[in-house]
Amino acid sequence: MKGHTRGAGTGRISPRMLPVRTSDGKSMQPLKKAPHGPTLLRTILSKSQRVTRKGESTNKAMNRVFAFPLLVLFLFTAGVLLALFLRLSPGEIITALKTEETRFALNLSLMTSIGSTLLALLLGVPTGYFLARTDFPGKVMLDTFLDLPLVIPPLIAGVGLLFLFGQNMLGARLGEWGIHILFTPWGAVLAQTFVACPIVMRSSRAGFERVGPRYEWAAATLGLRPSQVFFQISLPLARQGILAGTVLGWSRAMGEFGATLMVAGAIRFKTETLPIAVFLNISSGELGTALACAWVLTATGFVLLLVLRWIGHVPRPEILPSR
Amino acid sequence: MNPMAEITLQNIQNSIIKGISVKIRDGELFVLVGPSGAGKTTLLNMVAGLIPYDGHILVDGDCVDALPSFKRNIGYLFQDLLLFPHMSSKKNILTALKRLGLSRQEKERRVGRMMELFHLAPLADRLPDALSGGEKQRVALARALVSSPDLLLLDEPFSSLDFRTARYLRLNLKRIQSELGTTMLLVTHNLEEAQDLGDRLGAMTGGRLEQVGSIEEIMFQEKSLEGGFLERPNLLSCTYQKSLGNGLVHVRWAEQSLFVPEDGAKSFNKVAIHPRHVYISPYPPPGPQVNRFRGRIREIRHAGGMAYVEVMVEGHQLHAQMTTEQAQALSLSPEDFVYGILKLRALHGC
Repeated sequence: MKGHTRGAGTGRISPRMLPVRTSDGKSMQPLKKAPHGPTLLRTILSKSQRVTRKGESTNKAMNRVFAFPLLVLFLFTAGVLLALFLRLSPGEIITALKTEETRFALNLSLMTSIGSTLLALLLGVPTGYFLARTDFPGKVMLDTFLDLPLVIPPLIAGVGLLFLFGQNMLGARLGEWGIHILFTPWGAVLAQTFVACPIVMRSSRAGFERVGPRYEWAAATLGLRPSQVFFQISLPLARQGILAGTVLGWSRAMGEFGATLMVAGAIRFKTETLPIAVFLNISSGELGTALACAWVLTATGFVLLLVLRWIGHVPRPEILPSR
Repeated sequence: MNPMAEITLQNIQNSIIKGISVKIRDGELFVLVGPSGAGKTTLLNMVAGLIPYDGHILVDGDCVDALPSFKRNIGYLFQDLLLFPHMSSKKNILTALKRLGLSRQEKERRVGRMMELFHLAPLADRLPDALSGGEKQRVALARALVSSPDLLLLDEPFSSLDFRTARYLRLNLKRIQSELGTTMLLVTHNLEEAQDLGDRLGAMTGGRLEQVGSIEEIMFQEKSLEGGFLERPNLLSCTYQKSLGNGLVHVRWAEQSLFVPEDGAKSFNKVAIHPRHVYISPYPPPGPQVNRFRGRIREIRHAGGMAYVEVMVEGHQLHAQMTTEQAQALSLSPEDFVYGILKLRALHGC
């Protein structure tokens, strides 16, 4: 999805753009507006059509062989999901979904993940813009450094956060001001923000890079102030990357466990996000609540995947100016 | 509403541009011609304030060097137009009025005027993606002109359009220029375009402004054209006979009659014609027997996909230019006799 840009044909004269004239010399409508906001069904259909078309050009003999690992992978995934869902009857799951604990966990997960995604947007989008538009010595190093949270195991990141906000460092000072982060929902927000930021940053940066600075030049010659240029031109044009980053970052925040465990702890009805709830309830043998929470998480992930597909498919204007 | 302004460039330079000074007059359409890589676009970007430079740029005597692009009041038609793809045509044009802080009625009035001037009313709500190349060009022009800039920069505005659309817009641009009187600086690598449009021409190569002058001066000056971007025209020494009173002048060249478009009332003893307007063929071409000649090929040179044929006509040298393919199709070779035509409207007395 990320690499999906329109090919070399960004020049201004493609055959479909030439004015069409009928025999009586009247100009016809050159072309209909591209259909906006495709339905989910159409999205999925067109995706599958594209895959089929691609498949035609590949090596058929090898593809017959490769169908086997594909089948294994499919069964593997399906097996895991079935194992999760067949353990309890739908009735039992629904009952578990209605328990106070599940509802609390869902609520807390939503609140913290939305909060952390907003924070990640606030930090990640400007950083992404900065990195997309500026060159300076050591940029590669800084860039790599900012990506570190992507590869640090969340558990380790959690330990780091724990120390940073512990009594010996920032925690004491914050405590004086009455701000308590460790072992509160704020800790969960902090942990989720830490993992979501690089995702949002990378994705929006890619969005800004794809548009390039030339539209901003045009806006400047039209008299738009730098802030107007950013909010009215750069941001809307990079919306695809930013949206994709938001969705991905949010799903990471929803599922964040390791760092949250360290920073916010696993405290029933206090810092019990969905993943923490799964962990607590599996530990204490209460399968119902654990699986209900697992269901919610899986379903959320599925919906987010669909949304991502849809974002990749939103008919977007040609944002690559030809050079 | 007459946004004329005199633009002065004083010794503009950076790593590509090697010191350019030129004065563009009030309401003039100044054309910069030069091959790609000559630094034409770079110069425009400097004037627009998009990239740094040394030297000074004056608008009506006021130095604008310190002003960032958005404060310069200089319109810019980019080669790739850069219409904002997320805005309709009308919104694209409206964007250019933001800085002026106008009332809504005034904005509507100005946009309406531009839409009328460029025949854009039916396209107002379309996104740029749903416009043809020529339509996009018109929207971009309207957008660049709606705020009445002191100067409009145009970067190869017609290079990506098909021939007809380009010609139509070219004529339109002349009309608009005379209507609005905006000072314009246009760059192109297309000599014909330059001839068609410009009041004055500047020839640019390698970051330098080689020559500035009227089209006549630049095209048909014998000196200093060698090795430059502009190909040297044929200069035929002739004897002036008489004006025919129908816009044509009768002259004698190489012991034959030539008819040349009349240019004012002055008499002349030289006629200039660009080699690409000299047509030759091994057979007598059909059509009226006007400005025909017969000669012998002395030499054929090939360079850059073009063939340059030197023909001797009654002891007079004449160059013809065509593509290598055309030369091959005609199977021309030295010492051949050929028939030729001098394109009437491409002849200039000087």
